[in-house]
Amino acid sequence: MDEQFDFKKKYRNILLILITGGILVSLAAILISKPGASRIWANVLLNNQYFMGLSLGAAFFLAVHRVSQSGWHTVLQRLPDAMTTFLPVAFVLMLLIYFGIHNLYRWTDNNLSDKVIEGKKAWLNIPFFFIRLVVYFTGWIVLTRMMRKNSGALMTSSDLKYHNRKILFAGLFLVFYGITVSASSWDWIMSLDAHWYSTLFGWYVLIGMFVTSLAFITLLIWLLKRLGYLKYVRADHVHDMAILIFAFSIFWTYQWFAQYELIWYGHLPEETSYYITRVHHFKVIFFINLGVNFIVPFFGLITFNSKRQIGWVAIIAAIVLIGHWIDYWLMIMPAAAGDKAGIGLLEICMTLVYGCLFIFIVLRSLSTGPLVVKNDPYLEESLNYES
Amino acid sequence: MRKRNNIIISFDDEVPLLQAVKILRESKEIITDVLSPFPVHGLDEALSIKRSRIPVVGFIFGALGAILAFGFQAWVFTVSYPLIIGGKPFFSVPTFIPITFEVTVLFAGLSMVAALLIRSRLKPDISFKPVDERITDDRFVILVDAADEKTTLNRVKSLLSGIHTLEIR
Repeated sequence: MDEQFDFKKKYRNILLILITGGILVSLAAILISKPGASRIWANVLLNNQYFMGLSLGAAFFLAVHRVSQSGWHTVLQRLPDAMTTFLPVAFVLMLLIYFGIHNLYRWTDNNLSDKVIEGKKAWLNIPFFFIRLVVYFTGWIVLTRMMRKNSGALMTSSDLKYHNRKILFAGLFLVFYGITVSASSWDWIMSLDAHWYSTLFGWYVLIGMFVTSLAFITLLIWLLKRLGYLKYVRADHVHDMAILIFAFSIFWTYQWFAQYELIWYGHLPEETSYYITRVHHFKVIFFINLGVNFIVPFFGLITFNSKRQIGWVAIIAAIVLIGHWIDYWLMIMPAAAGDKAGIGLLEICMTLVYGCLFIFIVLRSLSTGPLVVKNDPYLEESLNYES
Repeated sequence: MRKRNNIIISFDDEVPLLQAVKILRESKEIITDVLSPFPVHGLDEALSIKRSRIPVVGFIFGALGAILAFGFQAWVFTVSYPLIIGGKPFFSVPTFIPITFEVTVLFAGLSMVAALLIRSRLKPDISFKPVDERITDDRFVILVDAADEKTTLNRVKSLLSGIHTLEIR
């Protein structure tokens, strides 16, 4: 039960080489293909949002299970806990947006004579944008840190007060996250199309985040099992992860369609502009997004047996992870980069850099303690769990 | 159906129930049925009951519902009675999706209920006399098939001597 993940020097070096290599190739891609400042900044924003979403979704996963006092996830809880350690890094990376804000957001231009954007000045102005950014991240970092600290304390102490505190902070996180995830998605993504608005957008982003995190947790389980850890994580736990991926992929599609259907039916010019840019110029990617995020998990995980094979669930999870990257791409890139938007070497390399950095931080955090919180009151229930 | 002779073993907890099921199956007794006030984890495996095929019924009828609903709307709006609504084309897929979805769910749901009722031979006028009134409240009961009641009763009693039972009769 005291097994600890050994973050070997070999793995570290591979990740560091990939990060440096990725940075070099990205720089080369920038120099050769000259994609323009907007596209580079849009890439930064896209990857910030994507990997921050992985952390937040993991915290959401933990918070939901802790508030509902569920037992089954207890053996897994160190994995999402480790994923939340990326948030401070995401904070720093998100502050970088300051240097590219004029390339990304049209509303930052003061000389714009645009009635609609002037009407939104009270919310969309640069100082308030950064105040909100700091508030969101402070809240997320503090609350996830408190959750991590209290669940970490149960590794050594068996005092029940840490368990109760962990639940308390999970509840606080849910309230704060529920509000801020919507607001942050308006700030960082929706305001790229400053005229356009959708009341469903925050929800849509939240569900996308949650699905990506579920997929990433499943991949971590697969990876650690491949390396010989987590022997006690059985098919029953994998089954539940697969059920969640399956269910929330369907829910994501529901949100996607609810947003699309109403705008398509209403046919108001200020609303349809969002879909016209995306469907007309990026038709293939637009439908790949729907197919990969709905059809693949729906038919891939529909039967009982398919949900219990970690190898198969990991394949579907990897596809879903790519799918939701494409989903964010469709939200951000056509609005920010306009005609220059595309998926090329730059996108792939920058995502590789961010991905390796994320994995590096998660694995390093995972290696700092045992993989199981051994004094958690629900551990026994989780070890004997049957789905 | 021929009236069966059954030995009735009742318990007040699920743990001895599971132990008893395992012992009885190991010693090749025929368990007719197990009755419990809530689903007991691990009981299906202990009785080696196969997984229910109801999800398959749900999937087939759900798919059927989807095809029927989509096909019907497509036929109505393009062939039978084309109407221009909001300037949209006659064959516009997004408008068909909500109804397709609802009919899929309806077909899947109703077909699974129907399959359950047919498969378990439940019908409105069925008469049922419980072996023991208390199984409708909080008792766990195992029914063991007994060709010869006396000897089976003694055999079962000796098998379950180490387990906390309420009653064996």
